[in-house]
Amino acid sequence: MTNSISGIADSDVIFIIGSNTTEQHPLVATRIYEALEINNAKLIVADPRKIPIAYKADYYLPLAPGTNLALINAMLHVIIAEDLVDANFIAERTEGFELLKASVADFTPEKAALITGLDAELIRAAARLYGKAKQASILYAMGITQHVTGTKNCAALCNLAVITGNIGRPATGVNPLRGQNNVQGACDVGCLPEILPGYAAAGSQLAMDRFSPVWGDFANKPGRKLGEMLDDAASGKIKALYIIGENPVISDPNQAHVRHALENTELLIVQDIFLSDTAELADIVLPGASFIEKNGTFTNTERRVQRIREAIPPLEDCKPDWLILTELTKAMGYSADYQHPEDIFNEMRLVMPSYAGMTYDRLAENQGLCWPCPNEDHPGTPYLHKDKFIRGKALLTINDYENPAAQASEEFPLILTTGRVMHHYHTRTMTGRVWSLNREYPHSFIEMHPEDALAIGVKDGWLVSISSALGSIKAHVVITTNIKQGVVFMPFHFSESPVNKLISDKNLDPITNIPEFKVCAVRVEEA
Amino acid sequence: MQKLLNQDLLTVLKIWNEQYEVFAPKKIDGDVVLSVLDEENFTMDYINVTLPVKQYVFEQKENFFKWNRSEKEITIKTPDPNKLSSRVLFGVRPCDAYGVAYTDKFYFQEFEDTNYTDRRKRTAIVAVNCLQPGKNCFCTSTKTGPFAEQGYDVLLTPVEDYYLVEYASLFGETLLKVISSYLSPVDSQQGVKDKEILKKLTESKFEINIDLSLIKGILKKTYDSKLWNALAHECISCTGCTNVCPTCTCFNVVEENIDDNSGRRVRYWDSCQSDSFTRNAGGHNTRDSVSRVRFRILDKLTLIEERFGMKGCVGCGRCISVCPTYINIVKIARELTAEYYANGGSDQELEQISQSVPYVIEQRPQMDNLYKPEIAIITRIDEETPDIKRFFFKYKDPSLHDRYIFKGQFFMITVFGQGEIAISIPFGPSQRDEFDFCVKKAGRDTDALHKMQVGDEVGLRGPFGAGFPYESIKGRDILIVGSGVGLAPVRTMIVQILDNRQEFGKVAIMASATKYEGVVYKDDLKEWTNIPGVQVFYPLAKPTNEVDAHVGYINDLLPGLGFDWANTTAVICASPRRIKAVAKDLLALGMQPTDILTSLETHMRCGTGKCGHCKVGSHYMCVDGPVFNYQEMLELPPEY
Repeated sequence: MTNSISGIADSDVIFIIGSNTTEQHPLVATRIYEALEINNAKLIVADPRKIPIAYKADYYLPLAPGTNLALINAMLHVIIAEDLVDANFIAERTEGFELLKASVADFTPEKAALITGLDAELIRAAARLYGKAKQASILYAMGITQHVTGTKNCAALCNLAVITGNIGRPATGVNPLRGQNNVQGACDVGCLPEILPGYAAAGSQLAMDRFSPVWGDFANKPGRKLGEMLDDAASGKIKALYIIGENPVISDPNQAHVRHALENTELLIVQDIFLSDTAELADIVLPGASFIEKNGTFTNTERRVQRIREAIPPLEDCKPDWLILTELTKAMGYSADYQHPEDIFNEMRLVMPSYAGMTYDRLAENQGLCWPCPNEDHPGTPYLHKDKFIRGKALLTINDYENPAAQASEEFPLILTTGRVMHHYHTRTMTGRVWSLNREYPHSFIEMHPEDALAIGVKDGWLVSISSALGSIKAHVVITTNIKQGVVFMPFHFSESPVNKLISDKNLDPITNIPEFKVCAVRVEEA
Repeated sequence: MQKLLNQDLLTVLKIWNEQYEVFAPKKIDGDVVLSVLDEENFTMDYINVTLPVKQYVFEQKENFFKWNRSEKEITIKTPDPNKLSSRVLFGVRPCDAYGVAYTDKFYFQEFEDTNYTDRRKRTAIVAVNCLQPGKNCFCTSTKTGPFAEQGYDVLLTPVEDYYLVEYASLFGETLLKVISSYLSPVDSQQGVKDKEILKKLTESKFEINIDLSLIKGILKKTYDSKLWNALAHECISCTGCTNVCPTCTCFNVVEENIDDNSGRRVRYWDSCQSDSFTRNAGGHNTRDSVSRVRFRILDKLTLIEERFGMKGCVGCGRCISVCPTYINIVKIARELTAEYYANGGSDQELEQISQSVPYVIEQRPQMDNLYKPEIAIITRIDEETPDIKRFFFKYKDPSLHDRYIFKGQFFMITVFGQGEIAISIPFGPSQRDEFDFCVKKAGRDTDALHKMQVGDEVGLRGPFGAGFPYESIKGRDILIVGSGVGLAPVRTMIVQILDNRQEFGKVAIMASATKYEGVVYKDDLKEWTNIPGVQVFYPLAKPTNEVDAHVGYINDLLPGLGFDWANTTAVICASPRRIKAVAKDLLALGMQPTDILTSLETHMRCGTGKCGHCKVGSHYMCVDGPVFNYQEMLELPPEY
């Protein structure tokens, strides 16, 4: 997030796109409710499903899956055409505006209406509301990123915020809501194929300058992306895989391919707190410790680095990840002389300028600190880009609309979009073990519009099979008018109804390789 | 009345802490919680503690028993109450003290729950009256504060640099004796006056004031308000509201297995705000998202009071503070009140509706542990239909059969390591030394039971519930209808009536099902056909060659029975929809709605009116029902 969670409450307009905020980020949603109920803010929600927060929206935009970019570009068009831009901000702090303007000049709401299935006037009204706001927040999640245009979608949302000056101030910004407690932290410390800790590009001189004083000589080059690793494992190019805290058998596209890739390795090591579907395929399973059994830090969606403390010692035979890794490092003949996660944290501070000013004591005193926090006198940074962007001026980008790769056909006439339910977390390895959560959703389901159900002759609660070009799974039907006709929805949590059996591993965003989890052509029939 | 100087308070707590386990307000970061006495972080500067004191008498998780199986033999061990410590809970606010007074009534009366009462008897509550309301406090509106009137052993009222001290129980008197050297006498009359002044002053500080005196009628009249639909879209079932509520008592019974041959049965706090709270094994849910949200508000503002005669909401405001989507019980009450009057409602109408006759609650004989099953052995298993089996059980301890009294409607059957299910009694009082039950495969627990063999051990609790009346229907024509496995609950009436055949008029028995294979007690039915004056019918959807069936509806057969309808009692066990369809025709034939008896089996978990899963309106179906007459059935909210 460029901005803070608490700041959302002070926004006068909130634009949610591709985020089921109430169900997936309930505490962020509380700030939205605060803005609406106490501060009379206005709300725009764009989502193919009428998710709970959509009932609170002033404008609800039920767009077709995979057409976000058409909607955003049309909003840019309206804001520019009706001169709702922040001209001073554009002049002083951006570059590339004229090119952007030209790129959306013919992207009228009428044109977007044909693509998105939305009413042109509704798009116009939403654009005006956002454009006229004093301080508007954009919130998004995987509904924006899991598309072949995922990167463009994000860049277009940045354009929207930047040309209206809704960035670099409190209660504004472009705010991706992170799906896990520490995914921000994992990215910060370089759990990314091309990035080293603190966002230094692998192979860059910056990386060399930062890390060689601490690490000495090191392999300063980019690694392979997740999908590429699985492809290479499948082809035999990669012989061994070491997977920590991931369950790709359920969470990565084309399950058959994933299974083949994992089975094709000569050595598969899986480190997890439970025996997941992936761990079941492993040659060696290393039992990790859960969050209550370890010390360290988590960095949340608003870049807040927070302490976690061991509440109970690790269960028998389990060890915290840092200890497993350091012992393994030592066993392989390299020094890894850390006594406590704090030692590792202090090393991070040496090589990550944004963490440099954080100490365990300061984190405890302040209930966490938001990065960047460059020195020990720095209070942390609740919102980014205040006076200056990192590169100087914000570069506005051109993001031409592209259709989603998956298209409905005669054989596969419905569009499946995937997501989550309130009471389960990811692949259910944890929440499936908790009676009160699992009881809410013990099984998968498929949401379907009454007209679509009528067309294939199925009734509420019936078991149906759902097939794509890649495979077929089963689930029970939930008939609801909260979804657009022609679109069906399934959660991806359930290993008994694994939607990743249906999702293509070939339809990828060209830059990040993120799979098109939100759009998949399927056929549904009585099982 | 005595007084205690502020400066001696901590010393007093330390003295108590020598003999008892003292819990007192403790500052942690921005919160004040009730925790083990911590001298360093002890504080009296708080509006209220984060969670109500309830958690110390009704813990979030409690063990019912531990079971062990060696060979086939099962043994059960319940926790030893003598190991519980004696506690002093200090600093409890009047709203929370009222909450404990209510949970006392809830857990001590009717079926005494010793898991609660054993702990409660060893717990003293030292309440401290409030001088400052919080922003969501509204106890003056619920009349449960700001000064405590019940739920405490010792009560402190802060006055300048001292506290006025009173006690209300033997435990309280004992506590004061221990610290008598720190107490000094005050003029009681002056003390009462001082208290009254402080109370008035505190009351004047409340920002939330709402008249709830007629709320029962308002909620009844706005039952179908669109507001509930809007709230249903806002509530995300996080269950925060019920977790922080001083009067929420619901729990779920959970099996925690240690290995294949041992485990624990425990209870956890549960919440009616979970979607699955009322969902039964077959997936049917008696409440949807709208009725779920409405139920909590109704329960707090009227249903609890209807049944127990005490306020269901103590006005602590915690549910308001904790709700992530700003659902606010006060705002709801205000909006519905406004809606009622805007639609032309009148006080006169409300006063009529809001009058209620308090329930008469029967105190049941005390059991040493409500939730501990007795071991029984499976002696025989008959396959009744492809998915229904009839199990015969004998208690392992034969004296239990001697002591057994026939009453009630159902037993709770435990499959150790799997769970517990409510199963209707299909037999009569003459069957004493062996029990049999028909069980349909409908979910995990019944699946597990179906896999068991003769000689295996199960657990039995019961009998529970209100059964069918027998004496009062003598001399009448009797129609008995059982749909599928629904013939089991009404079989108890059939056998009793046929044992005393001469005391009744005409008797007709209808065993309906989709096909004949789905009919239970096939041999019994054939035998009953041979009894004079008894007619047996098989209304089936599909034809059969096995018996002379009627392919069609139950209703088709009614006019031809030739009953004296004004003098007939009907006993029906079927789906609520089918019950209504049959009852409609019976009423047209001249029956009274009070003469149509039904059995409404809901999601029963504890069998004793405690766990809350089967609550419909103000009724616990497992205690007040599941047998109701048709008129009562129609008066219930449609959540069964």
